[in-house]
Amino acid sequence: MVYGVGLLLSLILVSIACSDEQNFDQFDDLSVTPTLATSIFYLESDEETINLAGSGNFYSEVFTFEAFNEEFVAERMLDGTITYQVENTTSKEIDITIEFLDAGGNVLDTEAFTIEEDPAPLLERQIAYGNGGRSLDILRNTTNMRVGGTNRGDGSSTSSQPNPKIILKSSAEFRFRLR
Amino acid sequence: MKRWQLLILTSSLGIGVLYAQNKQLLYDFYEIPQSLMVNPGVKTPYKWHAGIPLVSGIGFQAGTSGITVNDLFANDGVDFTTKVRDRAVYGMGPRDEFSGSGQIEVFYGGFRSANRPDDYYSFGMYGEGYSSIFWPKDLAILGFEGNANNLNRRFDFSHLALQGEAVNVFHFGVNRKMNDKLDLGIRAKLYSSVFEFRSKRNSGYFVTTQGDNNILENTLVAELELQTSGVKEFIDILDDTGATGADLQQWLLGRSFFGGNLGIGADFGFTYQLNQNTFLTGSILDLGFIYHTNGLENYTLNGAVSNEGIEILLPEDLFDTTTDIWQELVDEIERLVPFETNQNSFISLRPIKLNASVRHNFGSIGKGARGSSNFDHCSCKPGNSALRTSNLDYRSAMGAHLFMIHRPKGPQAALTAFFQHRFGNLLALKTTYTLDKYSFTNIGLGLNLQAGPVNFYVLADNLLGYGNIADSHYASFQFGFNIISWNDN
Repeated sequence: MVYGVGLLLSLILVSIACSDEQNFDQFDDLSVTPTLATSIFYLESDEETINLAGSGNFYSEVFTFEAFNEEFVAERMLDGTITYQVENTTSKEIDITIEFLDAGGNVLDTEAFTIEEDPAPLLERQIAYGNGGRSLDILRNTTNMRVGGTNRGDGSSTSSQPNPKIILKSSAEFRFRLR
Repeated sequence: MKRWQLLILTSSLGIGVLYAQNKQLLYDFYEIPQSLMVNPGVKTPYKWHAGIPLVSGIGFQAGTSGITVNDLFANDGVDFTTKVRDRAVYGMGPRDEFSGSGQIEVFYGGFRSANRPDDYYSFGMYGEGYSSIFWPKDLAILGFEGNANNLNRRFDFSHLALQGEAVNVFHFGVNRKMNDKLDLGIRAKLYSSVFEFRSKRNSGYFVTTQGDNNILENTLVAELELQTSGVKEFIDILDDTGATGADLQQWLLGRSFFGGNLGIGADFGFTYQLNQNTFLTGSILDLGFIYHTNGLENYTLNGAVSNEGIEILLPEDLFDTTTDIWQELVDEIERLVPFETNQNSFISLRPIKLNASVRHNFGSIGKGARGSSNFDHCSCKPGNSALRTSNLDYRSAMGAHLFMIHRPKGPQAALTAFFQHRFGNLLALKTTYTLDKYSFTNIGLGLNLQAGPVNFYVLADNLLGYGNIADSHYASFQFGFNIISWNDN
């Protein structure tokens, strides 16, 4: 008898339990798209080094860069911008070129800056990718970068600024779909 | 999303299973033999008892101090992502907790010593599991919003705290009536851990600031650890396509019966009669530990690093022909903040629980349970306390109960007011009102039914929550069947 009563009471308790209508399929609508920001690379050269190379190219280097090529990043990247800032306190006009290269060495994209000699204002440029901007495939396929610097002035003048330099800063701010 | 994925999600949110923690309905409800499990010094009016194997004690409990299932999954037309962001990511704090546990008695029995009638011995085996996850608020914000719009904000890793286990417990207890006023009890426990995971006392942060050279600087300072035992073996079996249900069963049985990691512990308790109708009780449970030596896999992330991306400084790097600068950067970060695994042994202390209560009886006692004719006859006579205290001593009673438990982020407490009443020999009811971090409206009801030697009890918490169970912050349910032979007087 007690078994029956026990079972009955348990069933009553369970049966009186009510709940508002739930829709667990909503989970499929969850969208998690954080925006992550990080610096990418930084190039700095003093004027003495530029003068030693004379007029023309003073630096050119190819290095691996697989930040956007990582599987996790490449698959989830939605859109974003790369910000460049170029600051020149040297006494000569300088070109900075950044080339995005794929694994075969092919140039996927190029960003070129020309900044006048001191006193030149800070040059800032934002390049959008995805969502109406340049193709994200450029970044997804980039495995190397070629960074070059060219002195468009003479090889002897010296800026009156203390510790004159050409500086290239860059950062990326991209939205990712985690879900 | 597959149903099983959703089940895992909700379980990980602690809404699935329950942790047998606060048992305010069972505590001092001594008509139920299982009350010995929450106070080994409770009054024992039985000659012997035997739980019906596997159904003498089944319980589950779930609690969430933050959001409820209804907050997220109500069919209310609100965008789900908005609900998650507003109610979970930003709506909860790092002390909000999801917890759940379940317990099942495999066997449980007890008997009064023939040579020492003041002693009551009890023994048995039960399995229990629980999980507890504190809301990692800062990590949730980082994952949901990212760092781009949170410059200079330190995302605190100490918010990360979780713990869970499945353990099989063998126990033997002695309850002794010291005199007319005092009952003492002790229970020894042997733990056989099936699996355990825990990550607590984490520290560190992630912050993005303006860089010294470059535009941004990301800084990671981490001292994180996840200790596990048995978990990797469990996952390996699940991942093994050749493994069968029998393999899993064999593994579970092996680890449940001393094949896993072992530990020892003890419970202590007392009941003291302050005056004829007032009783003080107290117990401290699970003073013990488990020493984990096998099936170990621990994960650590320790170190500190700041990064401003790839740096090329001329003239220093002018003749550096290394082109794998990116890999160098990655290697450097991994060197400074290594993610490592180890198989170091560890000791896990049991979650110590403390109970204390005061109970005041009132009303005409009337008939007791079994042996009630003697009880009825003797116990109403002033001064005949020996017989009175050896059986059920109340018709109505009220009192208060304090429960505390040591948790990963410090002790937690619950305060309960209760009222209980017996209806003759057949039925006893207990109702409780409990205040704790999960709810301020927790009303519980316990029922003990005695028909001949067969005893049935059912205890349910937070009854108001059953009106909309999906919106409840807390729910517990426990029931069982026993065979009881009551004391003769």
